[in-house]
Amino acid sequence: MNKKSRLLTGPYLIWSIGFIIIPLFIVLFEAFTGDNGLFTLKYVTDITWFVNLKSLGLSLVFSFISTALCLLLAYPLAMILAEFGKGRSSITVLVFILPMWMNSLLRTIAWQNILERNGVINGMLTALHLPALYIINKPPAIVLGMVYDFLPFMVLPIYNAVSRIDRDVINAARDLGANGVQTLFRVIWPMSLPGVISGITMVFVPSLTTFVISDILGGGKILLIGNIIEQMFTQDSDWHAGSGLSVVLMIFIVISMIIEEKYDSDQTTVTKRERRTN
Amino acid sequence: MKKHRGIKMLYLILMLIFLYAPILTLMVLSFNASKSRSKWGGFTLDWYISLVEDGAIISAFKTTLIIAFLSAFIATILGTAACIGMQTMRRKFRRLILAITNIPMLNADIVTGVSLMLLFIAARMTMGFKTVLLAHITFNIPYVILSVMPRFKQLNRNTYEAALDLGASPIYAFFRVTLPDLMPAIFSGFLMSFTMSLDDFIITHFTKGAGFDTLSTKIYSEVKKGIKPEIYALSTLMFAAVLLLLWLVNYHPWTRRKNDGANKKKFRALPGAAAVIVTVLCVSGLLSGCGSSAAADYSNPNSLFIYNAGEYIDPDLLTEFEDETGINVVYDEFETLEIMYPKVESGAAKYDLICPSDYMIEKMKDNDLLQPINIDNIPNLKNIGESYWETARSFDPENKYAVPYCWGTVGILYNKTMVDEPVDSWSILWNEKYKDQILMQDSVRDAMMVALKSLGYSANTTDEKELREATELLKKQKPLVQAYVVDQVRDKMIGNEAALGVIYSGEAIFTKRENPDLDYVVPKEGSNIWLDCWVMPKSAKHIENAEKFLNFLSRPDIAYRNFDYITYSTPNTAARELIPDEDIRNSEIAFPDLTKMSDLETYSFLGEKEDRYLNSLWREVKAH
Repeated sequence: MNKKSRLLTGPYLIWSIGFIIIPLFIVLFEAFTGDNGLFTLKYVTDITWFVNLKSLGLSLVFSFISTALCLLLAYPLAMILAEFGKGRSSITVLVFILPMWMNSLLRTIAWQNILERNGVINGMLTALHLPALYIINKPPAIVLGMVYDFLPFMVLPIYNAVSRIDRDVINAARDLGANGVQTLFRVIWPMSLPGVISGITMVFVPSLTTFVISDILGGGKILLIGNIIEQMFTQDSDWHAGSGLSVVLMIFIVISMIIEEKYDSDQTTVTKRERRTN
Repeated sequence: MKKHRGIKMLYLILMLIFLYAPILTLMVLSFNASKSRSKWGGFTLDWYISLVEDGAIISAFKTTLIIAFLSAFIATILGTAACIGMQTMRRKFRRLILAITNIPMLNADIVTGVSLMLLFIAARMTMGFKTVLLAHITFNIPYVILSVMPRFKQLNRNTYEAALDLGASPIYAFFRVTLPDLMPAIFSGFLMSFTMSLDDFIITHFTKGAGFDTLSTKIYSEVKKGIKPEIYALSTLMFAAVLLLLWLVNYHPWTRRKNDGANKKKFRALPGAAAVIVTVLCVSGLLSGCGSSAAADYSNPNSLFIYNAGEYIDPDLLTEFEDETGINVVYDEFETLEIMYPKVESGAAKYDLICPSDYMIEKMKDNDLLQPINIDNIPNLKNIGESYWETARSFDPENKYAVPYCWGTVGILYNKTMVDEPVDSWSILWNEKYKDQILMQDSVRDAMMVALKSLGYSANTTDEKELREATELLKKQKPLVQAYVVDQVRDKMIGNEAALGVIYSGEAIFTKRENPDLDYVVPKEGSNIWLDCWVMPKSAKHIENAEKFLNFLSRPDIAYRNFDYITYSTPNTAARELIPDEDIRNSEIAFPDLTKMSDLETYSFLGEKEDRYLNSLWREVKAH
């Protein structure tokens, strides 16, 4: 790959300036100007209102929990898939991302049917003479919806990373006396980190900003920051206020980006060191 | 690592159950004879049959596939090229590009959607296929880059350099050595983009124009009025198609023989086959899609652009009107009036007829968005009862702008088997006995109205003290409320999910038909009476066609059939005479005696500032 290949980035660079950067400046402009077109901080500081602050807090808590749960569920899954699927990896992985081919609005609505008072789960529980489960319209239902909707985003990148790990490296670790747990934490985990980081990004952000899941599974009783922003745009048609809160949300997103970037670069040095020792 | 095989299998199976449970539920629903999704009415294939005839769903499906394929394909090429280019860049610059890439992924979809909408408006682009495609490519590229970049980091450069040492040209070495190694990541990037695009709702919603729908926006507009079972049937078919595709690629003898070789080959065969099949689907969609996209051209004088609430007209009537007059109708649906308003105000979408409610008509009129309708050109309007014109005068004093279409009240729908005492007052919604059995309307004006009326205030009050009192009352009620919903009240009440629900009278006839235990009452403290009317926006060009349409709709036989379909009370007195069922014709629910109901108020437009204040109070309740 010579230096000319850099030009390949050109079309994307132009695209991203036109369709990412410029629209973003329009949002920033809306956030920092009032109806009279003058500069104001009013809309950005609206976040300190109790209602807005509370929903931002809830969003953060829910997205932390659902990201952690996704990682816990997805990591073993990705490892098992990588191990089992050697001969038929593509199809096994596809089976796990297939559900995404059903429209996500519909799948979330289906969860409503499953969790409802007279829904599928409670039907089964009553048949078994067990107490009914009421989590619909409560926080657990929203977290469940997030985990369900975003799990494939965690599985895919981790699987990609884990399946790239050279079997010889793992075998070498075992030959050198490491036990299963040591191999997992000292060899496999560090080598899969790029995938884990990408997975966390892909789950955390949509969970933080969703409003559809909380709408459908929260029964409108729980407002996340996404709901507030959505309502600012659609109900209040107040683009200044909506943009102001979006800018605040973007601060949190930038923070998570910086944290991830830091891990990411640590990881690059690890792999570099490895390459040198190779 | 070969140990614990049983546990691993068990884990895989549990995860499969978790992932597929909702899908199975949807599949079962597609065979459910009852239209309500919480009631099993026996096995049927009807929805599959009516799906084929439903032009709107089929065309939305085709559009979805075309957009998904084109945007994923273009994004994969742009994204992969960008990744390759970034490899030789200085670290700082690469980081900058990756940071930009992260923006659409990390940003809330709604902000991305709105920012793109603002951009398209500024660039004076007509909203439609083109804008949606551009938006989809934009949010798809990051998925490709995020999928391909980690693979690059793990790539062994030595093999590439070895290829160069052995005399391969850089391009040859790239295609023979690097690319095959990247292929799984590129493919998963493509697949992810395709899926994201199939699934996207929010961004499409903000960047689409009149008469343009993808499956997601179609479904969303139906969430409000209850989802058509045909959608479940379509999803089931789509899912079956994907399964078939997988089987063909992996187990069909024709592909199998090829795949006996190295593992990598299979990865190459899979995207290839997938791409071929998707392309075939898309091309067939594109061919039939051309006709409809040409039709959505506003400059065509022989057309009529209508913007209405979801499921608020009998679709057969539209076809009949087209057949009768030869006018091409472009019919579009909005979810809420609040979403409709900015679209019309900004001129992002052009329409000839819109059907808003009372207070919204007042707002549009106040903001100079409407033109008068010439009633003399519409002879059938004589069928509209005088009392409805009078109601309309509360927001349109000279009956110049609004033609009454449907009307009704807001009241309590309750289940006679679950509620013991007589229901005649809003206060029952504060009764501790019905904790978690109450459904409230998720709409500012309706929720506030319930609280204000039970306190004895006007539904149109702007008195801060009264509004504050109502807000506190709603906060007090919140622990008892099962959910704040809009049209799901209907389905949930039919499915015995709740005992009491606040609902529009138009839904009462339908719900009682489905579940005879239900009854509807307008509480004694008074309530809201609402009137939806047809109005003509200032920018409307097809005025004559619009007049023809209103004349058609006001014909007694047509108005009756429309009533029978949507079950919302018609102001057309001649049509009411045609209702064969005496119980419905004289129903207290559908056609209440307004003289006996003292305290029914229409909502009036309170002003933008006041609206925002009400919204903030309502958010306070919901975040409580």
